[in-house]
Amino acid sequence: MMETTVMLLMTVPILFSFLFLALSKKLYKILAWAFFIIGTFLSVQLVLGGVGTVEVAGQNFERLENIILVLEALVIVYMFYVSVKHKNLPTLALVAIATGISVYSFMNVAAVESASFNIDQLSQVMILIVNIIGTAIILFATGYMDEYEEHRHLNRQKTFYFTMSFFLAAMNGLVMVDTLGWLYLFWEITTLCSFVLISYNQDEEGINNGFRALALNLVGGIAFSVAIISFSGNGISNLSQVIGNSAGIILLPVFLLCIAGFAKSAQMPFHSWLLGAMVAPTPVSALLHSSTMVNAGVYVIVRLVPAYAGTPLGTAIAVYGSFTFVICSALALSQRNAKRVLAYSTIANLGLIIGSAGIGTPLAVSAAIMLILFHAISKALLFLCTGEIEHTIGSRDIEDMSGLIKKAPLLTMLASLGMISMLLPPFGVLLTKWISLEAASSNPVVAILLVLGSALTTVYYVKWLGTILSSSMDKKKTTHLKPETYFPLSVLGLSIIVTSIFVYSIFNYFVNPVVATLLGAVPTVSGQGGQFVSDIGGFAYAAIFIVLVLAILIYFATKSMFTPRKVDYYMCGENNLEKDTLMFRNGLCNYEKSSVSNIYMENTFGENRLSTVGYVISILIIIAALAGGVL
Amino acid sequence: MNSLDIAKIVLVLIGAPILGCLLAGIDRKLTSRLQGRVGPPLLQPYYDVRKLFEKDNVVVNKSQNLYVVMYVIFVVLSLLMLVFEADILMIIFVYTISSVALIVGGMSTGSPYARIGSSREIMAILSYEPILIFYAIAIYMLTGTFKLSALDEASTPLLMYIPLIFIGMLFVMNIKFKKSPFDFSTSHHAHQELVKGMFTEYSGPGMAGIEIGHFYEYTFLLGLMFVFWKINILMGLILALIAFLFVIVMDNITARVYWQWMFKTSWTVMLLISVINIVYLYIYEIKII
Repeated sequence: MMETTVMLLMTVPILFSFLFLALSKKLYKILAWAFFIIGTFLSVQLVLGGVGTVEVAGQNFERLENIILVLEALVIVYMFYVSVKHKNLPTLALVAIATGISVYSFMNVAAVESASFNIDQLSQVMILIVNIIGTAIILFATGYMDEYEEHRHLNRQKTFYFTMSFFLAAMNGLVMVDTLGWLYLFWEITTLCSFVLISYNQDEEGINNGFRALALNLVGGIAFSVAIISFSGNGISNLSQVIGNSAGIILLPVFLLCIAGFAKSAQMPFHSWLLGAMVAPTPVSALLHSSTMVNAGVYVIVRLVPAYAGTPLGTAIAVYGSFTFVICSALALSQRNAKRVLAYSTIANLGLIIGSAGIGTPLAVSAAIMLILFHAISKALLFLCTGEIEHTIGSRDIEDMSGLIKKAPLLTMLASLGMISMLLPPFGVLLTKWISLEAASSNPVVAILLVLGSALTTVYYVKWLGTILSSSMDKKKTTHLKPETYFPLSVLGLSIIVTSIFVYSIFNYFVNPVVATLLGAVPTVSGQGGQFVSDIGGFAYAAIFIVLVLAILIYFATKSMFTPRKVDYYMCGENNLEKDTLMFRNGLCNYEKSSVSNIYMENTFGENRLSTVGYVISILIIIAALAGGVL
Repeated sequence: MNSLDIAKIVLVLIGAPILGCLLAGIDRKLTSRLQGRVGPPLLQPYYDVRKLFEKDNVVVNKSQNLYVVMYVIFVVLSLLMLVFEADILMIIFVYTISSVALIVGGMSTGSPYARIGSSREIMAILSYEPILIFYAIAIYMLTGTFKLSALDEASTPLLMYIPLIFIGMLFVMNIKFKKSPFDFSTSHHAHQELVKGMFTEYSGPGMAGIEIGHFYEYTFLLGLMFVFWKINILMGLILALIAFLFVIVMDNITARVYWQWMFKTSWTVMLLISVINIVYLYIYEIKII
């Protein structure tokens, strides 16, 4: 039963990718709905099927291994083809190195006799994220891409949906497979798919950014393949064998895998590819940032926790992750472009996940796993909302979004929910931030970095939240609510609330057993009375939910006591409203439009100030990790 | 939840605004004396609120008062959590909800004055929040838990080992009471360049709600200072009183600064001394339980 589900999870997305290729554009909406329903069904099926391993051996294995080899060769050939076609020499060199290593390992590394898929609760969480959020994003895309292509005179939707679906198939394989050789193939396929999607517009900027993503991830890929060779020297060919191996011997390959993970999760100094990725259509950004690509990196890093927990390498990873968290939160503060804010916020949150994994205590590791889940939901919602906002007002500048509540009330509500869930209790992201902070308190360096990062996070989200909720004199309202746009958004919004309410059940069912297998110890957490109680503190989320509902009830109860009378703004004695805009009267009795903008502190936190600092310090920490932790 | 707890809740719900109102009255009285005026009666803040409730509910935006309700109710919740000695980090996060509600409420009116005030208040969050969380971390390092209830068993008051963070917290008090030199988002005085700032579009019952929220908030903030000497109620109260008087005196002897000055001071001097204090606790592994 489980075997069928595992195989279906990889073949169904591939089937859909070919259906998208074969069928006409008119059927895409139906296909996307079907994909969403089947994806959700299969992932729930996998969760209900429980945990276990699926062994592939004998004839089946040989057949699949051959397919894998062919695919690997195809991936390499395609990478050669594109880098020659666009004359991109650095990428070509990296592809050549990667090929050399692959050929070397094919000749020299002892072949494995069987492969296995390891379904535990971590895989289940990842599968849920990929197949529910991922397919919801594809569904959203069917309501988005027509307009997008119309503006840019493109007609490449077949490539788009084919790659998006194939991406999900590769991601599904990646989070279930246990054999390192196969994991590497899925890893490289996601790299390739992201290249195709980022260079979607086929203009110079798109192709350049695509190649940047390809090159940086190839660096990670090379580290990955060297790690496989090095692991095989210790007789390790499965990810799960990392547990229980005496840590000292395998630290070098573990370190290399972490580097591969850092590249994939766009951590400094590899972060520039994720910022470049926003030239692609919004659904691509949403997919890369929330449910797929970047999650692959942190997934592997969390899987490796037993190898580095409690070692100097673990401490270095904790400092590295929390450093990225601070510096990218500061960079996000200085950005006006909504997509860039979200991109930096993604990198920062992944840094927090990596930092928590590095701390390596049961409590911290559970925070890392939960943050993967909560961050994926909130970030997917925020990205899709930003895309829809862009279509509504024609801009992605945060300053242009003021008055959005009047223009698109439902969209604004959903976007606000996304933002609030990133920074305030009782929502999941803050719960995990609270856990990481408490877990980090025994290491002052990490704690200090997390404190600063968390204050910066509050600031850049509140700024944006206030802007979209600020009212204007504009009376326009959108009348047309497309179901394929608003359904995925509502599903994501609802998931934020539901997962936050059932946070303790999620912790108990999914996170606790994973931490138990990874570290051999579980965090002492209890959940009585709607509290999330660890031995050093308690997070009363239920109380906040109740008070939240109470506040809304009080508001509506008292509303009738004080009938509101609506007036125009107070403008210092002169209410000058011309053509629905705010006007001031200046000294010459002329009218001037008033405009207020948020504070971005570009001189303190701007990219030209902090980027270099970020590169230097992050590289130094990685070198220190190598020198102090591994050698 | 037993009857004692319920009595406590009722006492806080009724007692805190009375205390806060009296504090606001004392503030106005003292300030006017310092300025050589007679000043209003002690209960003037109460009369103000009563009058505001009788006024028309004039709004520019139908939902703007929802944010006021959010602000008040989450200040009350954080105060209750403080009284029930919950997780200090959690209390700070709940308190953040109320601050954010007020800022977003100001921005939601869309008035340019309110938006200037709100964006300055966001910078205030950036300046004080790290210090507040360092305070929580210091409590953890000293007691081994974030739960304030553990402080009852402490052998020495917190102040003995975290005096630098106490100084940082005095700075936070000045920001959070929205008093000069940090009253740039909204002010108690009429001579500033931006007077009501964030609250420009609030009047009548909405403004009354904000005032009541402030009463609770005063009590809550002084409660945070009380925790520095929690093992002795008298000493705790004295500390809270000192903090309150410090804020009033600072209000009257300083002029408004730019928000940039606040941010720089906070992220250099105040963060540095807080970090020094944290590192000191870490190196000497000081425990008070």
